[in-house]
Amino acid sequence: MDRYNDFTVEDFVWDDFFRQWALAPTPETSTVWDEWVGSNPEMLEKVQQAKAIVLSLRLHEPEIADPEITRIVKQTIAKTDEPVYGFLPKTENTYRLLTYLVAASATLLMLAGWAIYTLNPKKGDPQSTNIGSPTDSNIAFIEKVNHSAEPMRVDMEDGSKITIAPAGRLRYPKKPNADKREVYLEGEAFFDIAKDPGHPFFVYSNGLITKVLGTSFSIEAYYDSNEVTVEVKTGRVAVFAESDPAVKEKISGTGLQGVVLRPNQKIIYSRDEVRMVKTLVEQPEMVVAKALTPQFEFEDTPASDVFDKVGKAYGIDILYDENLLKDCPLTATLDNQTLHEKLSIICKAVEASYEILDGQIVIYSKGCKN
Amino acid sequence: MKFQPRSTEFSDDKRTWQRFLAGDVSAFETLMSGYFRTLFHYGCKFSGDQEFVKDSIQDLFLYLWERRANLNADADVKPYLMASLRRLMHRNVNSKSWVGEGGLTVPEDHFEIEFSVEQEYINHESTLVRTRQLDKLIGELPKRQKEVIYLKFFQGLDRDSISEIMDVTPQTVSNLLQIAIKQLKTHWKAEFLTFFMLHLLL
Repeated sequence: MDRYNDFTVEDFVWDDFFRQWALAPTPETSTVWDEWVGSNPEMLEKVQQAKAIVLSLRLHEPEIADPEITRIVKQTIAKTDEPVYGFLPKTENTYRLLTYLVAASATLLMLAGWAIYTLNPKKGDPQSTNIGSPTDSNIAFIEKVNHSAEPMRVDMEDGSKITIAPAGRLRYPKKPNADKREVYLEGEAFFDIAKDPGHPFFVYSNGLITKVLGTSFSIEAYYDSNEVTVEVKTGRVAVFAESDPAVKEKISGTGLQGVVLRPNQKIIYSRDEVRMVKTLVEQPEMVVAKALTPQFEFEDTPASDVFDKVGKAYGIDILYDENLLKDCPLTATLDNQTLHEKLSIICKAVEASYEILDGQIVIYSKGCKN
Repeated sequence: MKFQPRSTEFSDDKRTWQRFLAGDVSAFETLMSGYFRTLFHYGCKFSGDQEFVKDSIQDLFLYLWERRANLNADADVKPYLMASLRRLMHRNVNSKSWVGEGGLTVPEDHFEIEFSVEQEYINHESTLVRTRQLDKLIGELPKRQKEVIYLKFFQGLDRDSISEIMDVTPQTVSNLLQIAIKQLKTHWKAEFLTFFMLHLLL
């Protein structure tokens, strides 16, 4: 601390250590400075003056409100690639919105149905698939089968962790492919895939292909079941049928094509009924980091803001008519409820109802203006 | 005037960044929401047109998203975003004036910081005078020195980050900083002395 002995007020004001203490004192820095001033009492006045200057000279920044930021962020995300499952403008009338959603899902279902129906030669038989089946080639495979009653963890070379449920079976090539990572699953497993956008990760399971760049999700694909389900925990996942006419492009494309799932969304692919249904996982979890978990305490907050906050925390789109809901104030504390409990409480309070539609939540309300 | 510790949020930031690069929309949202205000404040130093600044931030994120496959997964997020916004705004303004839409200040000649003097911390009139003088003196610095002062003392960034943002060598950052502080100290002392003597005489 000796270097401070002949400091002037000007010197102090621009000294890193001094500023740090003045602006954000800690017990440690305070001890250091108090002791130093104690043994150099003639410096007290200079220190006080410098501290006042550091504290009082505040940068005057232009203001921007949180809702404005949220609005711009949403608008920006809407401009990114997804054509069908993108964010929809929230100010639209609920009915129009609904029509749009229904039309979009119907189109998708019809396409998926057509694709699966016309192009799968022997539908329902997992061995007949023409893409990526391990029996196709002479490559050597590693096979992991979980014969135990406990989940079994497999650590892959790329850092990915796969947890196989009892009776599950996982196969992958001994020598990794140069441009992609591939595994074959029968049964149930949870995947925590290491990020490597240059080497997309593929799971082949009962006719459904799941493509990710790095994320975590689970797949249920029992050999004797007609359904394959994929649930997303973090990140984004693309799914498409092996019989998809554009399957080659979807595999080799750099982005995620097909039906894209986001956290807390789930797809049910029915092999026999040839359809894909997008919905939410049963118990959605918040997508924000634990430390950043928002507080759900509302006092006279417009229901629209409440839905925005909840939707953001769970990474799920909640669609509502803003004009109707902005006049519905809500006072509640909702920290300990599950997503569905939260939604039920909010809806009850503002006389609304909700529905899960296409992996999103749609709020029906008549408003609260009277 | 807030010091932002670098280390605590660092790894979270990097993880979000890597999720962003992997194509995760929720990471897009976290990243853009989390940095919007910082970038907005920084952008407003180059242009008084707030809508232009907002548009530029939007363009920046869309551009990064589009090019995410080719971006560095190890980038230091905050300086990287600030540097990218700075480049993008300069380029946009240049192209705007190029097609004759003129009237905008070319940001390379422009870096404005504005202070407010919070009087609650001040007990003596002389301290108030000194603070106001400092405010005025910072405003009179050449724009690159002003920017370096802003990034170091008001954004809490280190030399390497500043060098990345301003696209100059770390040595240049040190030089700019040294010149700026020296300038401030000398003039400040002189002005205060004048004030003090006048005060005694009157």
